[in-house]
Amino acid sequence: MPDTSTGVVVIGGGSTGAGVLRDLALRGIDAILVEKGDLASGTTGRSHGLLHSGGRYCVNDEQAAIECVEEGRILRRIARSVVEDTGGYFVSVTEEDREWEPRFVEGCRRTGITCERISIEEARRREPALSKQVRTVFWVPEDGHLDPFFLVVGNVESARRRGARVMTHTEVSGFLRDGDQVTGVRIRDSKTNEEGTIACQAVINATGAWAGLVARLLGVEVKVVPVKGTMVVLSRRLAYAAINRCHKPGDGDIVVPGLSVSILGTTSAKVPDPETLPIEWDEVRRMIEEGAMMLDGVTTARAMRAYAGVRPLYDLGAEAEGREMSRNFAVIDHQQRDGIKGFTSIVGGKVTTYRLMAERVVDVAARQLGVGTPCTTAEVALNDREEPLDQLRHRPSRLGVPKPHGDESPLQPLLCECELVRPQDAAPWFKDPAVRDLEDVRRRTRSGMGPCQAAICSYRLAARLVTDRDVDGPSATRAMADFLETRWRGVRHVFWGSQLRNMQITTGLHMELFNVDRQLSEIPEPGENLPPPLAGEGQGGGRTPAEIAGQR
Amino acid sequence: MKTDVAVIGSGLAALAAARTVQQSGRRVVLVWPGLSSLYFVFATVDVLGYPTATAADPIDDPAKGLAQLIAKQPGHPYARAGMKAVEDGTSLMLEWFKDAGLAWEGSLNRNFLLPTATGAPKPSCLAPASMTAGDLRRPEPIVLCGFVGYQDFAPELAASNLKQQWKAGEVSAVRVTAPGYGPDRLFTSIDLARSFEDATFRDAVAGQLRDKLIGDGARVGMPGVLGLTTPNETFAAFQRSVGHPVFEIPTIPPSVIALRLFDRLRKHLQEGGIEIIWAAPAHAADVTDGRCRSILLKAAGHELPVEAASYVLALEDWVDGALRAGVHTVRDPFFHQPVAWHKVPTDRAAESLFASQPFEQIGYALTDRLQPADENGKPLARNVFIAGGAMAGYDPSGTKSRGGMAIATGYRAAKEALAA
Repeated sequence: MPDTSTGVVVIGGGSTGAGVLRDLALRGIDAILVEKGDLASGTTGRSHGLLHSGGRYCVNDEQAAIECVEEGRILRRIARSVVEDTGGYFVSVTEEDREWEPRFVEGCRRTGITCERISIEEARRREPALSKQVRTVFWVPEDGHLDPFFLVVGNVESARRRGARVMTHTEVSGFLRDGDQVTGVRIRDSKTNEEGTIACQAVINATGAWAGLVARLLGVEVKVVPVKGTMVVLSRRLAYAAINRCHKPGDGDIVVPGLSVSILGTTSAKVPDPETLPIEWDEVRRMIEEGAMMLDGVTTARAMRAYAGVRPLYDLGAEAEGREMSRNFAVIDHQQRDGIKGFTSIVGGKVTTYRLMAERVVDVAARQLGVGTPCTTAEVALNDREEPLDQLRHRPSRLGVPKPHGDESPLQPLLCECELVRPQDAAPWFKDPAVRDLEDVRRRTRSGMGPCQAAICSYRLAARLVTDRDVDGPSATRAMADFLETRWRGVRHVFWGSQLRNMQITTGLHMELFNVDRQLSEIPEPGENLPPPLAGEGQGGGRTPAEIAGQR
Repeated sequence: MKTDVAVIGSGLAALAAARTVQQSGRRVVLVWPGLSSLYFVFATVDVLGYPTATAADPIDDPAKGLAQLIAKQPGHPYARAGMKAVEDGTSLMLEWFKDAGLAWEGSLNRNFLLPTATGAPKPSCLAPASMTAGDLRRPEPIVLCGFVGYQDFAPELAASNLKQQWKAGEVSAVRVTAPGYGPDRLFTSIDLARSFEDATFRDAVAGQLRDKLIGDGARVGMPGVLGLTTPNETFAAFQRSVGHPVFEIPTIPPSVIALRLFDRLRKHLQEGGIEIIWAAPAHAADVTDGRCRSILLKAAGHELPVEAASYVLALEDWVDGALRAGVHTVRDPFFHQPVAWHKVPTDRAAESLFASQPFEQIGYALTDRLQPADENGKPLARNVFIAGGAMAGYDPSGTKSRGGMAIATGYRAAKEALAA
């Protein structure tokens, strides 16, 4: 790959890195984001998507709660197209939960979280699936659902429209230095192993759970504790709002509604390596048992898949471990701490507070670069437009009745029926060099994330690789199979009930009707690497916000 | 209600069993639990495509392959059904297809090698006549034709793959406009299939194909949408209009080719006076003294008993609810017998989707007469017989053998039911 140069290299394509890239771009600082996988393929895309009101942290982690309150309000303003404003409930089930209630109410009061106790009858009227075991209900209107993929893509595309660049599937393999000054990074294409360099004035390490590994390349230490969380996706929505247990944060005590599904989360276990996140049956079982204490239907709904993510908790040196650790974040100015100029790390935190984290770390980097432009990310909407976007344009409304589609034909073709993705929602991404496989298309469109788990859309996407990107048939077929295999890895952990019925349709289609299993043995590996887009084609960046919003 | 044989199921095994009883002159009731979603991913009758779930080389002569398989694996459901059931069942079905007006081809001595929608050659034993001109053992060049805006058959993907995998001839891809359809309109394979029954539509498509200057001797592969209720006439007229041999390739669901088959066979049974009980899921079998007295269906909130002298249970695997998977235990819906137990549900699923799947192998243990057996090999009920996918110990996906197994076991189970 050709060598290049920029002002700031941002390492990490999660919500933090994407927020940093946009913050830099809004301050007029030239920047390149380098991500070893795809955007939102690490912690962010594996979160449960709860936009925290702060209620979860208001007793034990006041600072984190206050940040959630403020940032939640900002996100509702600047990122309306990625927030589903559902509100949430904190529910007590056990006697122990009841004892937690006064502390919770007091915590909400101290941290400024809107919280209202409502009668059990009123709660059942609003959420009929609340379990019989629920004894007390608090309404917390500022909980919500945040689409983590569109949040990251929205930030990155906003930055790209201002000239920022993004390199996905590109790993930082080392640093360029001039004495104690960092002058650039060495990069390697994760798929082709091609190498290159980016010269720059500053590097921001926004790699979350991987921050220690990146810092080690410079010989400095960043103590990050990777803590695994496992989640289970149910194939339908059990509640309109987010449901939290009113108790000390523990395993399986949140049910997050996300568009058409419900996500049960989560567990908490320290892991030695952020890359290796095995899903244990006991975790899956516990998610379901705990979720069933709050909502009826958890045990009978079809569990669609399980997935695990890793929290990037920052070790502030306290005794605390895992869930006890603060969800605060820290900016590490390595010039001050380690005498290395032009290198800053941002660690800890959570998706809800990504914007604030970005602001704080860019403040430090900008000061070092001598740029005095203030941060404007709290004011400028992600889509650069004033008017709110109707994110649910192609979604059933909360009443289950299809929304009017304005002047569009109500019967448009769909690429992915499960997630209501249209062909034109996917089309721009086939021209984008940052999109390298069908998983990358999924993260930008939600294609393949619904009940059939890509059985149908995988074929249509593979077909488009051939027509829209000039990929040969064998490579497109391999990409299709890889896409299905990635879905399968989550599916097989919840393999009971009607899940088997569903997957037999997948095997029936791809093995019995298409003979893909035998076809794969004729295709040499690796075939997953898609060639770059055709010469002269534009990038996916610079798309209008309406286009991005249309993807939901 | 009282009948000689009650057949439960809606797939090929149930249809074969019902036809077998009908042909014997005895009374049969077909309990139809509803369109199984497997219909939508079905097209040809695959008897045995590969000797094992992972073998690389396709079988050319399925009868020979079966004889070897039966000799090697005496516990295999094909061995229990027996070679004679495969042969007699296949003859019965081919004759039935003809009687019902379905044009099908093939014999147990030769597999076709037909291109799929991903451009893979696939061995199939019996196929609609509208598919067989695609046989890759023939050398004529192939032009694959799709429609503008139609996502469920991709000629470019299929042609590119076929070029690599099929060395014998030339392959190319074209797209034509289906009048009235385009990228701005939602339409399915069924819409296209209905439109193809209209001569103006058909000729407009054929005209565009003629304009594409398809080379002499080339054959044209189309998505399997050439007609729905009058496929023979539609296909013949379209082929005449194109002026080249034409063949169909099954699309992603809904597979019109499967719908034609199942709809026609079901209607033909009805035309022959067979009673069908609709859309009632099986609930339990009432067994006393080793005999099944009735099968209870759950319909509109009450239990409906179906009484027969004997029963053929021919639900097709998971898709028809032939088996019920709890978190640890898999049971059948009639006897509620545990047929498999797993420490963790993940044990049912291989690491790769494309590997031979443990869950496909779960099913009833059988006696040599295809009765469902308990753990000691004793029948759960003397007058109940199993057919179709819900049998232990075979993998229809890997070996490409779902249709053949359905016919062989459906036929044999019906014969046993008649004798019981």
